[in-house]
Amino acid sequence: MVETASVGWTRRSAWADVAKAGRFGAQGTTGVVVELLYGLGIATLIVADGGGPALAAALRDRIGIEPPLTPLIRRSGGRALAWAGPDRWMLVADRRDDLDPVCEGLHALAAVSNQSDGWASLQIGGPDVRRALAKGVMLDLHPSAFPDGAVALTAVSHINVVIWREGDAFTLLAPRSMAGSIWSWLSASTAEFGCEVRG
Amino acid sequence: MISQPHRAPQGGLVDRSQTLRFRFDGRDYAGHPGDTLASALLANGVRLVGRSFKYHRPRGFLSAGPEEPNGIVELRTGARREPNTRATTAELFDGLEARSQNRWPSLAFDLLAVNGLAGPLFSAGFYYKTFMWPAAFWEKLYEPLIRRAAGLGRAAGAPDPDHYEKAFAFCDVLVIGAGPAGLAAALAAGRAGARVIVCEQDFALGGRLLSDRREIAGRPAGEWLRDAVAELESLPNVTITRRTTVYGAFDGGTFGAVERVADHLPVPPPHQPRQRAWRIVAKRSVLAAGSIERPVVFAGNDTPGVMLAGSVRTYVNRFAALPGREAVVFATVSEAWNTARDLAAAGARVAALVDPRPEPDPALAALAREIGAALHVDSVVSAASGGRALSTVTVRDAQGREQAVSCDLLAVSNGWNPTLHLTSHQNNKPAWNPAIDAFVPDKLPPGMSVAGAAAGRFALAEILAEGSQLGGEAASACGFVSPAPQDLDADPETPSSGPLWRVVGGKGKAFVDFQNDVTDADIELSAREGYRSVEHLKRYTTLGMATDQGKTSNLPGLALMAEQTGRSIPETGTTIFRPPFTPVAIGALAGHHRGKDFRPLRLSPTHAWSREQGAVFIESGLWMRAQYYPRAGEADWLQTVNREVLAVRGGVGICDVSTLGKIDVQGADAAEFLERVYINHWKSLPVGKARYGVMLREDGFVMDDGTTSRLGESHYLLTTTTANAGAVMQHLEFCHEVLWPELDLRLVSVSEQWAQMAVAGPRSRELLRGVVDAGHDISNEAMPYLAARAVTVGGGVPARLFRISFSGELAYEIAVPADYGHALATALTEAGRPLGVTPYGLEAMAVMRIEKGHAAGGELNGQTTARDLGLSRMMSTKKDYVGRVMAGREALVAPERPILVGLKPVDAGQRLRAGAHFVEVGALATMANDLGHMTSVAFSPNLGCWIGLGLLADGQKRIGGRVRAVDPVRNGDVEVEVCSPVFLDPEGTRLHG
Repeated sequence: MVETASVGWTRRSAWADVAKAGRFGAQGTTGVVVELLYGLGIATLIVADGGGPALAAALRDRIGIEPPLTPLIRRSGGRALAWAGPDRWMLVADRRDDLDPVCEGLHALAAVSNQSDGWASLQIGGPDVRRALAKGVMLDLHPSAFPDGAVALTAVSHINVVIWREGDAFTLLAPRSMAGSIWSWLSASTAEFGCEVRG
Repeated sequence: MISQPHRAPQGGLVDRSQTLRFRFDGRDYAGHPGDTLASALLANGVRLVGRSFKYHRPRGFLSAGPEEPNGIVELRTGARREPNTRATTAELFDGLEARSQNRWPSLAFDLLAVNGLAGPLFSAGFYYKTFMWPAAFWEKLYEPLIRRAAGLGRAAGAPDPDHYEKAFAFCDVLVIGAGPAGLAAALAAGRAGARVIVCEQDFALGGRLLSDRREIAGRPAGEWLRDAVAELESLPNVTITRRTTVYGAFDGGTFGAVERVADHLPVPPPHQPRQRAWRIVAKRSVLAAGSIERPVVFAGNDTPGVMLAGSVRTYVNRFAALPGREAVVFATVSEAWNTARDLAAAGARVAALVDPRPEPDPALAALAREIGAALHVDSVVSAASGGRALSTVTVRDAQGREQAVSCDLLAVSNGWNPTLHLTSHQNNKPAWNPAIDAFVPDKLPPGMSVAGAAAGRFALAEILAEGSQLGGEAASACGFVSPAPQDLDADPETPSSGPLWRVVGGKGKAFVDFQNDVTDADIELSAREGYRSVEHLKRYTTLGMATDQGKTSNLPGLALMAEQTGRSIPETGTTIFRPPFTPVAIGALAGHHRGKDFRPLRLSPTHAWSREQGAVFIESGLWMRAQYYPRAGEADWLQTVNREVLAVRGGVGICDVSTLGKIDVQGADAAEFLERVYINHWKSLPVGKARYGVMLREDGFVMDDGTTSRLGESHYLLTTTTANAGAVMQHLEFCHEVLWPELDLRLVSVSEQWAQMAVAGPRSRELLRGVVDAGHDISNEAMPYLAARAVTVGGGVPARLFRISFSGELAYEIAVPADYGHALATALTEAGRPLGVTPYGLEAMAVMRIEKGHAAGGELNGQTTARDLGLSRMMSTKKDYVGRVMAGREALVAPERPILVGLKPVDAGQRLRAGAHFVEVGALATMANDLGHMTSVAFSPNLGCWIGLGLLADGQKRIGGRVRAVDPVRNGDVEVEVCSPVFLDPEGTRLHG
């Protein structure tokens, strides 16, 4: 019989070994500010057959958000619902622990799959953010085409991503295994503007 | 200070306050900001800049723009060396090094110029006719010789050290070209409030306004230009990109453009790309690309010093560089006479004006008097000569009397061709406009309009009015309210007269296509030999097929063919263009995606742990996976792998399996769905159990395999192989959404969410006991073979434990949320220390699965059926499933079809090779005797010899017999014994231990 191991069961961010707080690129200017988001709670909700109205009611009741039926994200406090396809949403909580209370008992109305560890998430802002993102995002991010609250499922640098806009900042979710590749693209694309990374 | 003997003391748009030093063919020169390499060379009196492609004739600049056929050079040195760059568009920078091309040993003295003396040998079709026979000589002898003689520049031969990038832009109105038409269009659209992007290939905005001394609204055109640019730059909705060529017009208002971000600098500044490839999506576009001047075909028209008249004005007016001191102007269009005026004003002597029109133009006579030039009406230039620099032109009058005129510059104009290339990129043919003897845009890509010279309108006032109108209309079409179009006066212009395509009878070669060395005689030959369609003409003579794509030669070539065949130009054919307008570097199209960024790289959540353990990684699809974990003192990978295998089978090993695809299948009909996609049964699977499943493609062949666990009443977790994770997800979504939308079912990939480790070996349970929280009973009774349960680890971290085995040992897979992947691997390592736990990689995993006869990559190759893999007993006959019917096809169930067997060398010391083919022991190794092939091999440290799996005809019957495994590629020929594919523990006792 072996003793229970005395190692710390600590979480390791998708960004560990990939990106860390600091600055890079052009000196004397900060065109882009990247925040490495860590600890978001993310779950995929897919409506069960016939469960749509009940799920919407439950979500209204629990988090005060009407599930968007078009590519939008709606937020209430630390929680948000992002459209992720027909009858499908991403429930996003600022704190991972806030996820379970929302999802409790929803299983009859929707397939609930926790994906909190599966995404490497970033928030990207700053005066040059659109110029930097234009080097990989194949969509028009101008406010007239991609306004506050817009969501897109698209590909950047051959990587499937979810992107949404809140205010002037964009949140980008990339598959965890490809964090290094998405960072390689992002750092190459933001360097000319001067980039500050917040951990 | 290096003098610039041909630089005017004042005027032009060069900044004389700064001097830029550069080298051409090893000599030092000076120029100024605002120069191109071409203008700086001319300012320094350098006029011989290249040798021609085929005849190695001396060449100078023909033009001052992107149409240049002659002045193509190698720029820079070392890894940044780039061949075939047009010196006429290369912006000068301090330290620029350029080199002429296609000459040996030197530009002035080129030994291969004897090709010109052997002229008839190299006429059109020469290669086709000469190098036909014997066929075998082509590859080894003819082609290398021709390539050496005919090559242009040399590639760098080293990786490009610069970064390139791609970018995406969107706008309401894209304006292509920032000459007068484009600027007027951009102003109109910009003032209306539309999102406007203006792309200009030049580093300066203004187009011909930079080159011609014109007036707009009573002021010098330069003042209007300055105001227009200032206003555009002040509009926040207008983006101006200089040094940006729109090279293609594609579907849906999509344009390709390349921005030369740092081509005008020695090296890109920090964090800047060398070039940026734009994909621009525009609701509307205004093409204002201007026009390209046309040369005349006459003997010696390629002599350095023969130049297009409009380009001469560009050099004189924009760059203050005099291309010659003693000039003759030969033009069929009135506007070209301004060249004489501008040359004289810049201090050159104009010796003669040669006008083919029978009636003298009174204004021209006055000009001739004013500048002291001889006027030759009803005359032509029939020849130019001088070898490496023009010295004489022959002027011939209507009576055929010839007169030699000394000069060092001949300015030629035969009118202008609209730069309509982008209008035809979607296969639209241009239309012939007899009024201007040129092709003009006809049918346009959706959303495009064409303004100014690009549309065949050459009068400045008209150009400005049309630009303003079309810019406003484009904005209106996007929902903006446009101000009324602006009308601006310009100084008066004389209408042009008809073209003169060639002058016959001069002594020497007369060139149509300068870059590919196509002469008028080649076109005559082509007509004589029956290659009269424009497509045949092009392929037979190579007309228009050089890097300049015939910008100055297509129409003259067509005109000559029309003349030869007694047809009109439009009857003879039209020219049509494909992207790119000018060459685009592959690097720009690749952008960031080269080297390790060619495609995404995927790292497992335990990657850092594997690295800490000293893993050697291998690319496996997009993944980097641990291949083996060498230890100090091990001689090679085989020794390492043997150790890992023996450690697992003798104790316990751990291995990352996070890369397997994982799909959550939820819903009331989940079991029904599994029944339909797998060949075996699922409804009987209880909650808390896993089962191995095989799925087929619709055509009956095996698609993938893996275990699926029932986690809850209506919740299953399906796993796929690493390689097929994406394809299986697609397949399942197709099945659900298209085949059986009525099933109550939801699918979502959770591959990224979970880190998963295999724990294998007789002591695996013991190891897990040290990691799984104490409250969970994982004894053999509580957690038997194929159990699948939720547990916790590390004091409450949620985990899933599966008792499944790929190695044939007592084994488990344990999964935790990916953030805990590193912690899990570390905990297993720490807890396993007293047990001698051994990390093992893909190689050891492969050895063990081969020892157990489990099919994997080599066997699941898309060409095998479940029967071939010995899994026919799994194929249910009591239900329908994808691929069932097609798997029953006669040939797929034929008894002689190769089936999975095990193979061992008869001489245990011999090595087996995957890919070897089987033949009977006494038979010849021919295709006719082929019995199948070896799919996987491994050295089994447990058996002490190489073992293999293979697909062998009549394999079942051959067990116990022998065949040969022949590997002609590696000279292998090994006699092997056919055996059961399960080499080890056929009863499976270890599994249940």
